[in-house]
Amino acid sequence: MFYSPVITNGSEAAASDKLHLFKYVEDSEQYKLMTFESHGGYKAWKKVLTEMQPQQVIDEVKNSGLRGRGGAGFPTGMKWGFVPKDSSKPRYLCCNADESEPGTCKDRVLMERDPHGVIEGMAIGAYAIGCHTMFIYIRGEFNHCIDRMEQAVEEAYAKGHLGKNIHGSGYDLDMIVHTGGGAYICGEETALLNSLEGERGMSRIRPPFPAIEGLYACPTIVNNVESLAAVPHIINRGAEWYRTLGTEKSAGTKLFSLSGHVKRPGNYEVELGFSLKKLLYDPAYGGGILGDKKLKGVIPGGASTPFLTPEMIDVNLDYESLTAVGSMLGSGAVIVFDEDTCIVWVIQKLIQFFKHESCGKCTPCREGTGWLKQIIDRIEAGGGQPGDIEKIEEICGNILGRTICPLGDAAVMPIQSSIRLWREEWQYHIEHGKCMVKTEFPFK
Amino acid sequence: MADDTRKKTTTKAVATVTLTIDGKSITVPKGTTVLEAALQNGIHIPTFCWHPKLKSVGACRMCYVEIEKMAKLQVSCATEAVEGMVVHTDSDNVKQGRRAIIEFILLNHPLDCPTCDKGGECDLQNLTFEHGYDDSRFDFRKSRFVDEGSTSTFDDVRIGPEIVLNRNRCILCYKCVRANKEAFGEYDLGAYERGNITQINSAPGEKVDNPFSGNLVEICPVGALTNSDWRYKIRVWLTKTTPSLCNFTSSGTNTLFYKEDHQNKIFRTTSRRNDDIDDGWLPDVTRYGYQIVNSPDRLRVPLIKKEGKQVEATWDEALDLIHKHFTEISDKMGSVCIGGLASPSLDNKSLYAFSKFFRTVLNSNNVDFRSDYRMLPPDAETVFSRLCSRPFKIADIDDSDVVFVFGSDLLREHPNEYLRMRKACNFNNARVFVVNPYATKAADIAALEAVYKVGSDEQAINGICLAAIDDNLVSGPKAKALAEKLSPLTLPETSKACGITVDDLRILARALAESRKISFMCGEIVTRSKERETITTAVSNLNLLFGLENKGQVASLARYANSGGACKLGVQPSPAPAVKDKLKEIWGGYPECEPHNTDSMLALMKKEEVAGFFVIGANPIMLHPDRQFVREGLEKLDFLVACDLFESETTEIADVVLPLCSWAEYDGEYVNLEGRSQRAERAVKPMFESRPGCEIIKLITAKYEKSLGEDEQLTSEIQQLLDLDSALPLPTEFMAVKVVVEDKQDEGFEIPLFVTDDPHHCGHLTEKSPSLTSFADDAYLEIGPDLAERLKLKEGDNVRVESPVGKVIVPARISEHIENDVVLIPRNFSSTPITSLLMRKKRIDRVTLSKVDS
Ligand SMILES: Cc1cc2nc3c(=O)[nH]c(=O)nc-3n(C[C@H](O)[C@H](O)[C@H](O)COP(=O)(O)O)c2cc1C
Ligand code: SF4
Ligand code: SF4
Ligand code: FES
Repeated sequence: MFYSPVITNGSEAAASDKLHLFKYVEDSEQYKLMTFESHGGYKAWKKVLTEMQPQQVIDEVKNSGLRGRGGAGFPTGMKWGFVPKDSSKPRYLCCNADESEPGTCKDRVLMERDPHGVIEGMAIGAYAIGCHTMFIYIRGEFNHCIDRMEQAVEEAYAKGHLGKNIHGSGYDLDMIVHTGGGAYICGEETALLNSLEGERGMSRIRPPFPAIEGLYACPTIVNNVESLAAVPHIINRGAEWYRTLGTEKSAGTKLFSLSGHVKRPGNYEVELGFSLKKLLYDPAYGGGILGDKKLKGVIPGGASTPFLTPEMIDVNLDYESLTAVGSMLGSGAVIVFDEDTCIVWVIQKLIQFFKHESCGKCTPCREGTGWLKQIIDRIEAGGGQPGDIEKIEEICGNILGRTICPLGDAAVMPIQSSIRLWREEWQYHIEHGKCMVKTEFPFK
Repeated sequence: MADDTRKKTTTKAVATVTLTIDGKSITVPKGTTVLEAALQNGIHIPTFCWHPKLKSVGACRMCYVEIEKMAKLQVSCATEAVEGMVVHTDSDNVKQGRRAIIEFILLNHPLDCPTCDKGGECDLQNLTFEHGYDDSRFDFRKSRFVDEGSTSTFDDVRIGPEIVLNRNRCILCYKCVRANKEAFGEYDLGAYERGNITQINSAPGEKVDNPFSGNLVEICPVGALTNSDWRYKIRVWLTKTTPSLCNFTSSGTNTLFYKEDHQNKIFRTTSRRNDDIDDGWLPDVTRYGYQIVNSPDRLRVPLIKKEGKQVEATWDEALDLIHKHFTEISDKMGSVCIGGLASPSLDNKSLYAFSKFFRTVLNSNNVDFRSDYRMLPPDAETVFSRLCSRPFKIADIDDSDVVFVFGSDLLREHPNEYLRMRKACNFNNARVFVVNPYATKAADIAALEAVYKVGSDEQAINGICLAAIDDNLVSGPKAKALAEKLSPLTLPETSKACGITVDDLRILARALAESRKISFMCGEIVTRSKERETITTAVSNLNLLFGLENKGQVASLARYANSGGACKLGVQPSPAPAVKDKLKEIWGGYPECEPHNTDSMLALMKKEEVAGFFVIGANPIMLHPDRQFVREGLEKLDFLVACDLFESETTEIADVVLPLCSWAEYDGEYVNLEGRSQRAERAVKPMFESRPGCEIIKLITAKYEKSLGEDEQLTSEIQQLLDLDSALPLPTEFMAVKVVVEDKQDEGFEIPLFVTDDPHHCGHLTEKSPSLTSFADDAYLEIGPDLAERLKLKEGDNVRVESPVGKVIVPARISEHIENDVVLIPRNFSSTPITSLLMRKKRIDRVTLSKVDS
């Protein structure tokens, strides 16, 4: 039984020998340990425990080219390698399951439908860095994920995949499921660590990086659910195989959460380098724009990434191609807007979110997002004033690159790109006190 | 703005880096931040959230600099200086960045500067003046934390007895929350909500009343946190400052007094940061204690007893009377029948004049400065007095790898050292061990807090020694030698006797053995114990066994502002031999008569062998164990002179009462617990007719037609004594530790009582400070939840505390951290005579507790 009915390309994955994250995602029993094991689950974990040294695991993941799926795309193996080898302190691994960026809803599917895959990936990561207590920090509102993960952890302990002297290897590993307090910022890795420690969820300045001084000032690795879920497959089938997937610089597959004005919103696993156009229009994926309207724009990587216009969607979904067109792969949340969407309205929704979620620690983000929201609200309400666009641009400039954590950048990048791409629409809104395009939404 | 232009002095060879800031080549130790490197070299970078004693968080973003080869502006407070870095602190880009920050901060700031107490010393005012726009681009109504519809900018939220919060002015630098957590270990203040409605506030259901909370007001860069002490009293630019010292704790915490030309009163105290001593943090008792100086209750004129009643008199009348009666007593009974007790908070000159008067004018050795010790032994050569004389450096706590506290409720006795201990732990990863008869607030940072059975202090120490021997942690010969002395004690038996498990004793032993730099501190639970000699003998063995002094410091910490000076100047009945020799040399003689300490003088009063007594600044009735005993003694006297700031239980029964100046009213020098002599300057003129101690003693001497010498002569004599190395070495041989069985318990009295100081008070004077009494104004008892449950006592219940000799009724407080059966009661409130519960010959006072039905 599935908790949440979400469209996936699970049947495609089941038939493919390349797609692996979603291979069993349509199997409603996959969350059970028995089913998971019957599909080869925990094989990689046993292999690691019995045949591999931690460094070999790190090397394997490094060679696979796996990059973090949480947003920043940092090479996972390299991050693991940063954990000091000679430190006498305990090390920790935290799986970041706080998934709260508007549009992103992929980790939740993995946790709900394949929780053991997440545990197995975490365990392998823990082993690689010499960690004996690992955490999964799950977004507080994800009740179903929390249930499933807790149940899976219980099963894993019962079956000896977790606990003391796992499978006779002498390796001890405990896992703690922690529910978050319901703040987007707690997905930012250092705020996540603060929150896990029982402190207010606010970002920490780096350096020190978590790999050196993280949870309780001990070396800590924070990885996204999807990043970790890919790891058992790399161990089972080898780094070489993984590299054959995707592009040279973006190896592997990636989950894209497609939402907005498309016919088939859902989660799709595709090889990196997949065509965005295909994802939007192919009947197997997005199936085209809702009501066969014209496309206005796309946010390709989550609410914090710059927009693409219809002319730009002939782009491949991988780290390097999206950077080349001035946007980012981010967390892989593709949000689609049709021609009848007022850009000011979109931005108003976004700034509302970022203003609300700013942790309040650093001045530019805390004060700047509030101010931006006030100005944008006023424009949307028809009270825009000459000079507002310039003011917005200047405020954005005073936030971008000047904050503690990337939330500040995330808040302003879509604004800046919307002004760059649709300036006349902003101008119209200010001058006429109303939207330039007729805004009709099936939802509010 | 915190100013950190002082360079850190360090003796170790450290790696350095050289960078360029604004064209200037600068070399600093590796690990220095760009901001510190700049400040240390006279290059000013504005900051809001940075604090020299807290970890950098990079929150305000005011300290931007431009670093070549880095695309973005960097926050200098959190950027480490690296070799070859080229930094610009004043480029157009940096200026623009700062201006933007000021603009952001001012968006919703109320700009109510004319009515703000921070005006004139506000970082926001100053930095806006320097770096801001003169125009606002913000055209919305400012958001406010005030009642709906109100146009006021005031948002006076009283978040503690002293502190008022105005959230509109807060710039969210988080310094208050960070200091509370990082430096003080307190969590009564926090940040709530998110984004631009984030607010600082007291923790839900709590008050900000921790014993260091005054610092939050001082470090707040704006007028968001103010205190009742200073609010709306005066504009800061009308005040002048005078350097002074804390007169309550023994650290010699450096302070500044603020006063105004036309009024003879002090307006507030702030820190005068001295990194060797206080890091710029003041305990509240230090900050608000000055209020006693201005108190309207101060004794105004001399009083003399006429027909059983104290009546006002002139100084001359009073002095004549003293001379007349003391001479009569001397003539009749010999001058050994006159004794004196001075407060260890008096300055060097007063204390020295006091001792010199007794010894050279009266020819009596009956002088002491200890009014709260029970059953003092004759002291010169005791292990106890040796331990008290050992050198100690506060700043050396910082980089100790082990901080070991034994027999001290450090927070209450030595708040400043308590903070240093926290710093060592939080900033330098020191391991803290606390061994006490009850759990104290230090427990939260302790690697291990071992609680021993009340009254088994020496067994706890023996146990650690035996554990080390058992675990082969110390050299064979040493182990053998001590084992012989301790025989037939065994580890299991000793563990049982003191109640610390063998495992814990082993952990403590290992910590001492493995430490490379140790700070070992004993406190009042040792010094005030009747068995202090036994306990310190055990400590001496411990020191020898682990070679502690060879790798750090071991001391029993002096308790009061000038206890250190009193010892160095010989203001006790039997001074250290070196001091005594020096005094003999200076004075050309030294009284031969038998010396008596406070306790033995009081006993002699009862036998009418001491008939005249001169008390200056002390209040033995309130502080000495066994109130009845003290009162009876004093009442038997022919003649009692008491000099103090306020009327007290002791002045009440005196034949002559003289108004005494506080430390703020004259220039004085004080020796802190490190032996460091420091100066507190006169900030105000003596209140009413009060006079400094030294002057009073000189005036009395003049009545004898003698002189103690001119000021310069006294100063030079004092200097000779201070220059003397009067520290006595700890024994170099192991000694047997007499096993003390507890005195017979009085039937039915079972709960051990500890008389302590309230964390906001010290001694008998601080209850005259309104700010301090706003935290606590009367006695209460503190017990753990277990005991409370068994006795069916709830928070706030009135409880009858009864000992075999007395009883008091106080409300109950339940402290979660106390686990064993003990009861603590503060002694600072004259309305509750706590010392009436104590018996001076008992090692442990035991009481019963029962709820009083109202
Ligand atoms: C405001 C903010 C929110 C974030 N939220 C998430 C999140 O919900 N899940 C996640 O995996 N990473 C999130 N990140 C990224 C994390 O900080 C971090 O980079 C990531 O967990 C690292 O894992 P990876 O290397 O496997 O991608 C967020 C970052 C920011 C700045
Ligand atoms: S950028 Fe925003 S979310 Fe990140 S630390 Fe600063 S205030 Fe907090
Ligand atoms: S109250 Fe003062 S110290 Fe605390 S955050 Fe606000 S401005 Fe900073
Ligand atoms: S002083 Fe550096 S960020 Fe506040």
